[in-house]
Amino acid sequence: MSRRSLSGRNAVRFFSSNSVPIMFILIIAVCVPIVGFSPAFLLNEIVTRFSRNAFLILSLLIPIMAGMGLNFGMTLGAMAAEIALIFTSDWQIWGIPGVVLAMIISIPISTVLGLLCGKILNAARGREMITSYIISFFMNGVYQLVVLYMMGSIIPIVHNNIKLPRGYGIRSSVDLTRIRKCLDNVLAVNIGGVRIPLLTVAIIVLMCLVIVWFRRTKLGQDMRAVGQDMEVARAAGINVERTRLISIVISTVLAGIGMVIYLQNMGDMATYSSHSQIGMFCIAALLVGGASVDRASIGNVFLGVILFHTMFILAPAAGAKITGNEVIGEYFRVFVSYGVITIALIMYETKKRREKAGMGELLAAAQREEEKKHA
Amino acid sequence: MRKILFRAGTILVLLIIAAVMFFIGRGHTIYFDNKNLDYEGTRYEAVRRINVSVNGEQVARLSKKERGMATCMGQSFQFDIEVIREKNGESEFYSYSLSLPYGMDGIIVNLPGIMSGLPQDAWMSEFIPAPEPPDEENEELPGEEDFDPAGEI
Repeated sequence: MSRRSLSGRNAVRFFSSNSVPIMFILIIAVCVPIVGFSPAFLLNEIVTRFSRNAFLILSLLIPIMAGMGLNFGMTLGAMAAEIALIFTSDWQIWGIPGVVLAMIISIPISTVLGLLCGKILNAARGREMITSYIISFFMNGVYQLVVLYMMGSIIPIVHNNIKLPRGYGIRSSVDLTRIRKCLDNVLAVNIGGVRIPLLTVAIIVLMCLVIVWFRRTKLGQDMRAVGQDMEVARAAGINVERTRLISIVISTVLAGIGMVIYLQNMGDMATYSSHSQIGMFCIAALLVGGASVDRASIGNVFLGVILFHTMFILAPAAGAKITGNEVIGEYFRVFVSYGVITIALIMYETKKRREKAGMGELLAAAQREEEKKHA
Repeated sequence: MRKILFRAGTILVLLIIAAVMFFIGRGHTIYFDNKNLDYEGTRYEAVRRINVSVNGEQVARLSKKERGMATCMGQSFQFDIEVIREKNGESEFYSYSLSLPYGMDGIIVNLPGIMSGLPQDAWMSEFIPAPEPPDEENEELPGEEDFDPAGEI
């Protein structure tokens, strides 16, 4: 085989396996000149959204490592974080202590929700993603019951600015001004008009290092083994169910911490909707970074968060410039989020079928060889 | 055994950190009043002008009967005041350090009272916001738009 055809095949393989990031780079390359944002503004927005979202997306890596696919159940961690922030707002704990306390309070709630989710996912093996998606809808109902009816009546909430005027239930929006950007403002540096929140970036980098370290631990190795082949892992003496359960609990807890970082950046919490789409947007960002259902890396997180959110910044303005209607850009970005997930799922299924067919062909060839030998 | 100890230790550390955060992060709003104060039959008069500074930054410039405010985190609060008793008069400077009650969100400090060296219960009181009258007819319950998933990310 000639070297040229080999390199051509490699190029085709590269483009087919990185089609989603390449598509996004092209969209961004087209949108940037149309929109005409200054580089400083664009970079500022990207850095802000990177620091806001990266930790949340990192929380998705561990279940993928354990072969559980994209954890739509991370929404549960987001709900835990919101409950924690309602409490810290009511207790009037401000600034970084408020953020740290919210993170600590979210941990037990996330753990319980993660355990519940993990148990169900173990029972629904092979259908983890759709199951976790439905669990998040179910838990959203429970969350609304707790926040809308139990808080202020059964669970003590003191401050009237948090409670609904009727005396129980939480208002649609909780003001987080007292913790707004308290992490982002510490050690923030301004480079060429771009504000870089060094502490938040350091937390994200630390999380990346923890993930790298975790992969090398016994538990991390077990998760990778389970992710590759559950039956082989079981035969090797790994407690598969427990390993999968732990991966979901870790992911949910990290999602809770990530949601606190996200909301401290926003400075305002939409009590009944902040969490609802967070899972989908984080998963879409990860997939845009070139990850797949069974393979994701820290590099995919970084590339994904930058590309996806750059598109989010550009799309409304580009929509307004091209069609005169900003709403079209808004539709475009939501449509792209769903589209990317759909493409990733189709590609995953196609790959799985192709691999199965390849295995079948290999088996048939081996059988034919065997028959030839006997003949 | 080691595993149990490690887990218990982790929980204990988290609880300790949470307890510390409770105290150092407790937010208070301090209201400074330059108003007359009646205490045990004596009237302590408001002064012509008081400038209040926290951490070297002026937070209030109070004439008679005026109120200023500042926010603080934690259980201790320090502030400086510059008192001008008469027009074109000399400024007097005072520094105070308060220990704030944990249970109070808003704390009113009467400046003429604190300057007169009165006990804390004379010049410190809780700020209680006026209760919102319940309006059951126009009650703002979360509507469908509040459950709308489309939001800023």
